[in-house]
Amino acid sequence: MSGVADNAAFAAALLDPGRPAPPGLVSWNGSDPAQRFAVYRNNVTTSLIDALSETFPVVRQLVGATFFRAMAREFVRRSPPRSPVLAWYGDLFADFVAAFPPAAGLPYLADMARLEYARVLAFHAADVAPAAVADVAACLAEPVILPSLRLHLQPSLRLIDSPFAIVSLWGAHQGVGDLATIDPLQPECALVLRHGLSLAVMTVPPAAGRFIAALQSGAALGDAVREASTEDAPFDPTPALGLLIAHDLLVGVGQSPGQQGEQP
Amino acid sequence: MHQNDTTRHASAAALALALGAALNFAAAPAIAADAAKEKCYGVAMKGKNDCKAGAGTSCAGSSTKDYQGNAWTYVPAGTCEKTASPTSPTGMGQLKEFKEKKA
Amino acid sequence: MGDVGKPRPAFATARCGEASLPAAAGLGLKPEHFGDVLETKPALGFFEIHAENYMVPGGPFHHYLGRIRSDHALSIHGVGLSIGGEAPLDEVHLDRLAALIDRYQPESFSEHLAWSSHAGTFYNDLLPAPFNAATLRRVCEHIDRVQSRLRRRMLLENPATYVEFAASDRDEATFIGEVVACTGCGLLLDLNNAYVSCTNHGRDVHAYLRALPLAAVGEIHLAGFAREVDSLAAPLLIDSHGAPVAEAVWALYEEALRLIGPVATLLERDNDLPAFPVLLAEALQAGRRLDARRALHPLRAQAA
Repeated sequence: MSGVADNAAFAAALLDPGRPAPPGLVSWNGSDPAQRFAVYRNNVTTSLIDALSETFPVVRQLVGATFFRAMAREFVRRSPPRSPVLAWYGDLFADFVAAFPPAAGLPYLADMARLEYARVLAFHAADVAPAAVADVAACLAEPVILPSLRLHLQPSLRLIDSPFAIVSLWGAHQGVGDLATIDPLQPECALVLRHGLSLAVMTVPPAAGRFIAALQSGAALGDAVREASTEDAPFDPTPALGLLIAHDLLVGVGQSPGQQGEQP
Repeated sequence: MHQNDTTRHASAAALALALGAALNFAAAPAIAADAAKEKCYGVAMKGKNDCKAGAGTSCAGSSTKDYQGNAWTYVPAGTCEKTASPTSPTGMGQLKEFKEKKA
Repeated sequence: MGDVGKPRPAFATARCGEASLPAAAGLGLKPEHFGDVLETKPALGFFEIHAENYMVPGGPFHHYLGRIRSDHALSIHGVGLSIGGEAPLDEVHLDRLAALIDRYQPESFSEHLAWSSHAGTFYNDLLPAPFNAATLRRVCEHIDRVQSRLRRRMLLENPATYVEFAASDRDEATFIGEVVACTGCGLLLDLNNAYVSCTNHGRDVHAYLRALPLAAVGEIHLAGFAREVDSLAAPLLIDSHGAPVAEAVWALYEEALRLIGPVATLLERDNDLPAFPVLLAEALQAGRRLDARRALHPLRAQAA
């Protein structure tokens, strides 16, 4: 290591408490520069733990503040932010939690982190005007095109298909339902969305989840119904379509290329 | 994905019914609750970037506790203790002190 | 690049008629206070946001900022550009900043004399660099790049620091004066930072203030600090933004206003956020001092 407190030396010591303070630091009165450097060390670590704590409040409540902060500190040291936009910090947290041995007794914790991060993504997602009801209704005039119709959905929409009761557990931390009566091992498919300025978290049946996920990935309406029918046949898309329309999640309808009409 | 015309028309008719019903359906606010168990809440997210410094006495930055180095002494102790957890010996979501062996 | 003596583009000097913040009190805008601000339309000169919090595609932050911006002057204050860093500026981040500035057309844009990113990691803190020729060259290059990319003059904020470097060969005020002279940028005079740094490094804050390029001041920041001690029990002040403005900093503010005249003044609070009326009352204390000074500086007041 050079004897100069360049950015590299300074940065390396910030996140590694095993390293001494960087060389080349001085103080006016001869006091210990390492103790002064600790202000930066603490600020970096604490502020990033605080950011994670804001993004994952239910994970924090589930494990308690002491455990959460200690777990978050390990994450901060391993995966510090790559971007100055801290809203997105924690995109890798759920994967870290899933592989974090001390949390292994809470198998639903990682999916709860996924749910909470999905809320952040939905909260900040782009504002897109919903499709006009008349445009959707116009598609009914020509039913033959419906199987190849593509439905474009709001970018705020997020699905998390979990083997655990993450929506019920999350709701219990918002004062809805009694934690003691929830069986965490009940699978739940979570839908996270923003309707206007408000976030909503809800469960949908697994087949509806498959249907919406297929639409999201660009499948035509007919293919999305077939995809959902592999989960639960026969699949009736009416409630799922009603949900999408009622929450203004449909932002456009369009014909799939090449499936209908004149071929060039 | 090759279909005969009968199947395609049948599914087109079914989709027309479904989409028509969904449009009517969505006009009535109560109906979405049938499609999903909904929970809406107010939003109180904060900005996470600022230019303050934390107080210097916190030990977060200098703590050398490391769960890979056998120094991990924390156990989850939050609301998880109130949820059922069949994987834990007590039946609740709590853990014994964790000691990881060196791989 | 990096030739300190080269001619500067025209935007780098304050132009007559260029939008600027009013010489009045302002507050940092917090999402917790969106509702209060919209309902009460407080008599403040401007609001300031941290740029990075609004570098998201859409949603409530943009909805409320758009509405508040239509009623108030706006200052965009960056906390993540790493102007004091050794690496070249992050052009992707600069693009995000340009898009935000284009969208909201703020009266002022400011950033810090500090670094926060290195080798692809963002440390979320305003980290110090030595005051010497190498840092000066980099900081001037970075500010030139920011001002040419954003096509506007920026303000640079003096830092709060806790350590000094053996590699420094000039004092902080001299360094800032050189940056201002070489880039034509303005100075965001953070009086809490000035007080914190001078206390932490045994400097005379009054001499420090007078050594700064005060003619370039475009905005003042006021905030509260926390008290710690160093290993010899000397005061070590922390720029916590978590307490009311200290009496000593108010006194420094009066002194600065005597030297500079009335100038846009922000009350910053990021920690232990009180209810909006409490913050507003504290900001209006700055407003009263500005009014008193305006009465004594009629010419500057007219120009403002």
